[in-house]
Amino acid sequence: MNATEVPVGHQFDPYSNNGGTILAISSKDFCVIASDTRQSEGYSIQTRYAPKCHKLTDKVVMAVNGFAADGNMLVRTVKQRLEWYQHTHNSLPSLASIARMVQTILYGKRFFPYYSYVILGGIDRDGTGGVYSFDPVGSYERESCRSAGAAQSLIQPFLDALVMGKNQSDPSLVVKNGERANLPLERVLAIVTDAFTGATERHIEVGDGLEIYVVKTDGVEVIRKELKRD
Amino acid sequence: MSIMELNGGSCVAMVGKNCVAIACDLRLGNQALTVATNFSKVFPVTPSTLVGLPGLATDTMTVWEKLRFRTNMYEMKENRKISPQTLAHLVSSTLYEKRFGPYFVEPVIAGLDNSGVPFIASTDLIGCINFAKDFVVSGTASEKLFGMAESLWEPDLAPEELFETISQTLLNAVDRDAFSGWGAIVWVVEMDGSEGKVTKRWLRGRMD
Repeated sequence: MNATEVPVGHQFDPYSNNGGTILAISSKDFCVIASDTRQSEGYSIQTRYAPKCHKLTDKVVMAVNGFAADGNMLVRTVKQRLEWYQHTHNSLPSLASIARMVQTILYGKRFFPYYSYVILGGIDRDGTGGVYSFDPVGSYERESCRSAGAAQSLIQPFLDALVMGKNQSDPSLVVKNGERANLPLERVLAIVTDAFTGATERHIEVGDGLEIYVVKTDGVEVIRKELKRD
Repeated sequence: MSIMELNGGSCVAMVGKNCVAIACDLRLGNQALTVATNFSKVFPVTPSTLVGLPGLATDTMTVWEKLRFRTNMYEMKENRKISPQTLAHLVSSTLYEKRFGPYFVEPVIAGLDNSGVPFIASTDLIGCINFAKDFVVSGTASEKLFGMAESLWEPDLAPEELFETISQTLLNAVDRDAFSGWGAIVWVVEMDGSEGKVTKRWLRGRMD
């Protein structure tokens, strides 16, 4: 809001911000990946249903957020690379392998990046849930819990408290460094829903609908919920 | 870099059942350098009202001194303590006086009026009042505080529950903000008969 921060001059800006928020929470034997379905530009809503979560395999779901055009093209590229992998290897890659591949795809455009914040969620080769989060040029890390997008600053501290047990004294809730949270599915779904309803209240770019992908060892299930449309 | 982000710091206030709570962090910085870890941004105005002044630290101190002067004069002239609603308007007019060269603070106000009814409010740096019924947030961690408070707050919390709620709201929000933290203080105001009773507690949080 400072006058010194206003850009001067005009040039074609290849990027745009389409708002929205994504998050993923993993547990011992499942992973939940969720996104709101609103796509906006500034104060306008472009569409109330543009899902940001995409199923890649029976064990992996990819969520993209930021510039929708880049996010959608990135998903198409990743899906195409998975098709080629399947043709050459006659199987599908694991979550960790797909994560590494996403890094190379993102870094491939290091000097004209995909303006996309990617979160990969799913079940890894050993049957445990995992979340991988990326920056737009491919830096990534495995975590148990991550939110990204417009309401990241609203949602992430809430996840720190309820999923990782931060600033709590109850030892059964606290997750130690390097370990993964181990919550039951109903609790995780309640946390996801509350995170999004809270974000919808206080952030104009979040709302309309919520799509939750639950990835378990036996497959992927989708839960759709309504969010406030104002 | 914005002027509001030079020193860092955040405040939050919440309404409970016949009580209010207000809390702030303790950090004072010069951009990335932390200069003090005992800089409270909340000041008592009456035995049952407090005001938080996060923002540029020099303006925190100056606006507090102006407010202290004005509320002391009010008490002398009116022979009564200022009510929280009137204090909110006083803060608003003090800030709007400087409309074209403002004080860089975004205050939050919390208190109980004479009959024990809870009141909270916040203003922007030029005095626009937000009469919230649930909670108000301000400072460098305001977005994080919005997210935490929106999920954790519920109506009619008893004083002990309100303390836990506002503490978790503040602690988890400032832990995600590089410019806020280094300790926190929470004030809970309830009615003790006809007098305000303020309980002040220091919180142990991440010291980074």
